[in-house]
Amino acid sequence: MVQNRNKLIELFVGNLSNSIVHEILERAVSFKWLVDKYDKEMLNSLVIAKKYREKINPVKSCLSYSDAIEIRVKIINKVRNELRLRISKGYDGIDLNLIEELVDKYLRDMKVIE
Amino acid sequence: MDQIYIPKKRNGLVTGSYVVISALKIRGKVEKPYFYNVKDIEPLKLEMINEMREVIENNIENYDNVLFVGSFLDKRFNFNDIDIILISDDKVNIKELQRNIWRIAKIKIHIIVLSSKELIKGLSTDPWYLMMLSKYISKKRFIYNVKREINYKILDLHLLKSKGLSDNFDILKGNEKYYLVRNMVAILLFLEGKKIGVNIVDKKIEKFFKVKIENIKENMLEKKRFLNKYKEVYTRVFNEIMKGIKNGSKQK
Repeated sequence: MVQNRNKLIELFVGNLSNSIVHEILERAVSFKWLVDKYDKEMLNSLVIAKKYREKINPVKSCLSYSDAIEIRVKIINKVRNELRLRISKGYDGIDLNLIEELVDKYLRDMKVIE
Repeated sequence: MDQIYIPKKRNGLVTGSYVVISALKIRGKVEKPYFYNVKDIEPLKLEMINEMREVIENNIENYDNVLFVGSFLDKRFNFNDIDIILISDDKVNIKELQRNIWRIAKIKIHIIVLSSKELIKGLSTDPWYLMMLSKYISKKRFIYNVKREINYKILDLHLLKSKGLSDNFDILKGNEKYYLVRNMVAILLFLEGKKIGVNIVDKKIEKFFKVKIENIKENMLEKKRFLNKYKEVYTRVFNEIMKGIKNGSKQK
């Protein structure tokens, strides 16, 4: 199915945000080993995000400065909103300071930013 | 020089054929496995189980039980790898065991090593463990009686996996969609304190979505209708988890 670039970016942002939320929540869970024991890397948002990134041009080099900044801001906001929603319900142990660090790490890994 | 006699009247091994002489490997007696909720299984799969058990027996010194679980036990041969739970208090070199099973039986396995205590903890707090153990073939009977303990954070983490189905509907394969729907419905049943098992969850999915499991696996879904229902169930489960987190934090 042919998808336009904006739609692909939107899907990339959604999946990468989900994956980062997952990673931050994992660190707040006390029985993480329970999940680790069987979590196969068969299907997760990070794998899907990578698939979308491979469809967004330029594939082999970083995105333009304006695209990269827009994506970065969108992901940070999405992740922050998801985590704040949980904090407002009384979820403890969530470290919001990890957001920017993780977003930058994944965006660098996926050649979105330098 | 020693001699080996073979019958004069025989099929094959014509005079002048090159042969290899080796000692006959006598298979150790493999105990009859225990079947839980597995009504029938293809003989070939049973043969594979016996081969894997033999490798485990020869490689692992101390273990309490070994359970074969997952889609391998479903009818037909629609599985990617074989899921095995090894119950042992000792540390096990999983990679080596995987390599040995591959070398001898040419079977790709995914192995989880747990102590009995860990497995019981998993069964009391995590719907995935209940799903896994709703059907198995094992070395011996595994009896457990656990009190359900709801850990909302763990459930939230699991549910997050299913979040992407609506956005990624068009690129997901049927099996992947089934996995995500099943994950969500299992969490719902767990929260409601209901019995959990692959068949029970499958029936619930069919009831909720008014679609056959086979149709989900074959990716034959009516997108709009399916997603409307999916979002409705997802929101219900998510709100239930958030409510639990809220109540849990109030109790502290």
